[in-house]
Amino acid sequence: MARMKFLCDAERCIECNGCVTACKNEHEVPWGVNRRRVVTLNDGLPGEKSISVACMHCSDAPCMAVCPVDCFYKTAEGVVLHDKDLCIGCGYCFYACPFGAPQFPQDGAFGLRGKMDKCTFCAGGPEDDNSAAEFKKYGRNRLAEGKLPACAEMCSTKALLGGDSDVIADIYRNRVLKRGKGSEVWGWGTAYGKPEKGATPPAGAKS
Amino acid sequence: MHVRMRQWLMVVLTVFACGLPASAMAAETSSQEQAARQQTQPGNNAPVWRDVRGGDNPYQTTQVRGIESSVLVQPAGETWRQLRNGPITIYGGWLIVTVMALIGVFYWWRGPIKLHEKPTGRRLLRFGSWDRMVHWGAAISFVLLAVTGIIILFGKHILLPIFGYTLFAWLAILAKNIHNFVGPVFAFCTVLMFVTFVRDNLPKAYDLQWITKAGGLFSGKHVPSGRFNAGEKAWFWGGVTLLGIVVSVTGFVLNFPNFEQGRELMQQANVIHAIASIVFMTLSLGHIYMGTIGVEGAYESMRTGYVDEAWAKEHHEFWYQEMVAGNKSGGGAASPVAASALKEGWKA
Repeated sequence: MARMKFLCDAERCIECNGCVTACKNEHEVPWGVNRRRVVTLNDGLPGEKSISVACMHCSDAPCMAVCPVDCFYKTAEGVVLHDKDLCIGCGYCFYACPFGAPQFPQDGAFGLRGKMDKCTFCAGGPEDDNSAAEFKKYGRNRLAEGKLPACAEMCSTKALLGGDSDVIADIYRNRVLKRGKGSEVWGWGTAYGKPEKGATPPAGAKS
Repeated sequence: MHVRMRQWLMVVLTVFACGLPASAMAAETSSQEQAARQQTQPGNNAPVWRDVRGGDNPYQTTQVRGIESSVLVQPAGETWRQLRNGPITIYGGWLIVTVMALIGVFYWWRGPIKLHEKPTGRRLLRFGSWDRMVHWGAAISFVLLAVTGIIILFGKHILLPIFGYTLFAWLAILAKNIHNFVGPVFAFCTVLMFVTFVRDNLPKAYDLQWITKAGGLFSGKHVPSGRFNAGEKAWFWGGVTLLGIVVSVTGFVLNFPNFEQGRELMQQANVIHAIASIVFMTLSLGHIYMGTIGVEGAYESMRTGYVDEAWAKEHHEFWYQEMVAGNKSGGGAASPVAASALKEGWKA
């Protein structure tokens, strides 16, 4: 089975924020919640680069490891998802995540952060695929429809790739060979450098 | 009120921030390094990527607003995870279990410390109503925080396998909210505790004798002490005061993320909070044991405020002598004589 990953080509990203907008539109996320963001490095300096970042669906996900109620689970395709019915909004996943992916709808006085929200790789949540309940909590489930994440599909320069790890790595390898530079696969060491942990067998998601 | 709280929190945050390494200078040099690298090796972005992993570059920007949203990678999260899931959970958990077991063994071996002489029937006021109110305010909030804190840190390992996901998540939400709302109450009670009991907890020369004999805990021999013995004083200074301040300050940092403090500060606060509260809980087990089943009459003294004269003489002889001499009142409130005098309606 395919192992789903994101890859952002910093040589191509033009900081248009199209991926951010596509994500917001696709999932109708509430104000203040940003599942994806574009960060510009050395803004205005020589060697400026932009990178689109969201949950990278790590192989040994820190959020899964620190969650006090164990609300995270991983699909057979390596997508890290969570159950909002179990989430207590403690913010520990936000402390642990290297990419700043977990988002909270409330400001958090007295620890009232609300249920955590993050990129689902457009794969929804534990509810029935494409059900109203799933859409309300997690947004659209494009993977169930046979589509790839909206952000990557929408990317105007195809800087952001999302999909089967082998396929997107091949595309990127060909690009690097052609242009002869920019071989850094940003974030992959952090996200996928460790052995896979917590993947559920294909039989079905956790109840 | 709001502004003052913000200022206060900023002071706390600044104190913590002073412990963090200054990294802006390093980023400055690495962006110059990158410019130089581009001259000699176009296409080599190593210095930029080093920055990205460090997350320290001041020229990182984003259009998305949020806490540290311009940071791409924060490596400290992994350190926090390793500390919390590793030593804190494992050693902390076993420390609490071990101390509980040791207290159990001690109780089985030594049993409750009983009065040697017959109760006289004459009672002395040891804790006035204010003393008891402050003590139980702190005690009840402490127990609520300890139980809910244990659920948050260890529940995943000990309760989740029994309760299942749905029930445990429901319990954990309750625990989290109790913890977050009772926390400030405990911090308030801790301040009151300090003010109320500090006078009688000041160290005295005779405390040394009590310490060298370990309070007669193992020998069973009587060691004289003031209103509070050296063991109680150690609990007051090390537990209530020191650990009370540490868990309260770190707790406020974690409880109010709306002041936009960064993740590293909250990770550090969480580690300190967890370690301090585990030590606090461990010490409290000793205090709770001595105050309930360990010493006969100790619980009644805090429940009713009164102790028998025989009890006072056996456990707090110097305090008993002061009380009998009548020149000092127990509990910072009216002495028994004065209390009855007030009841009779005449002024002392």
